[in-house]
Amino acid sequence: MLSTATFKRGLHKGLFTLWEMTKIVIPVYVAVTFLKYTPVLDWIIKACAPVMGLFGLSGEAAVPLVLGNVLNLYAAIGALTSLPLAPREITILAIMLLISHNLLVESAVSGRTGVNGLVMGGFRLGLSFFCGFLLNLLW
Amino acid sequence: MQWEAFAGEALRGGLHNIWMMARIIIPVMLVLEIGRDLRILDRITVFVAPALRFFGLSRQATFPLVVGFIFGIAYGAGVIIEAARSGKISWRDLFLVNLFLSACHAIVEDTALFIAVGANPWIILGGRFLLAVVLTYLVSRTGWLAAQTPRSPQAPRTGAKPAGTGPPD
Repeated sequence: MLSTATFKRGLHKGLFTLWEMTKIVIPVYVAVTFLKYTPVLDWIIKACAPVMGLFGLSGEAAVPLVLGNVLNLYAAIGALTSLPLAPREITILAIMLLISHNLLVESAVSGRTGVNGLVMGGFRLGLSFFCGFLLNLLW
Repeated sequence: MQWEAFAGEALRGGLHNIWMMARIIIPVMLVLEIGRDLRILDRITVFVAPALRFFGLSRQATFPLVVGFIFGIAYGAGVIIEAARSGKISWRDLFLVNLFLSACHAIVEDTALFIAVGANPWIILGGRFLLAVVLTYLVSRTGWLAAQTPRSPQAPRTGAKPAGTGPPD
């Protein structure tokens, strides 16, 4: 049954979630933007470009990729929005991240349901790389 | 170090980010809440259960799958863990649900988020779904999974052992 309580709850949850996400996205965004104004990001780009190239991504895509796996999607988004990535790159990165993100937390959940968290995490990472590679090839 | 330029970009970009997230998160949460109150999840579950026989999944596996598919693993964690602990779902089914969800979960929120930053919606939604279906189907069909499932009383092969496991399948 719908009521005003439904909308109030939805709004409340929306604002709460927004706040929780903001606490992650904004600091990450500011940090990555800061790095852009230093030689550090260029260094990261040069170092990661060869591997990222396998997935049709530029070196700087390594930042959202790592953040998304170690932290969560919102950290990845925070980094992503600060970097000049082409729509095609964003899509490939999106697929890779959607398959493999928040590995620490989500593997723990898998672990508690009886499936080895480490195996699940490794599998998702591997699947992510495979799909990124494949998508880059086919698209 | 161009401090002014950095500060300007950080501020403008930061606000833009918050606005972009708000435009997605608030409507999504509203829709999910409406869905909850209209008990849409139950209806979807009833609808989806027969389709899951494609993977040889039991009816009990339907609910955690649907929750994870729509809400995501983090939100759906409670449901999924509870389903595991209740012992009503076989280890095989749990594995397949995990597999499907790892390829494709939280389709509402995650998809909307990436569309907002410029990803191609067809690929990230359709591609993921297709991947999940194909992967889960293939694994459900191989002898490998059947060989993994212990025939003795419920005990997951690896990972945490749920308390109070139920009778064997």
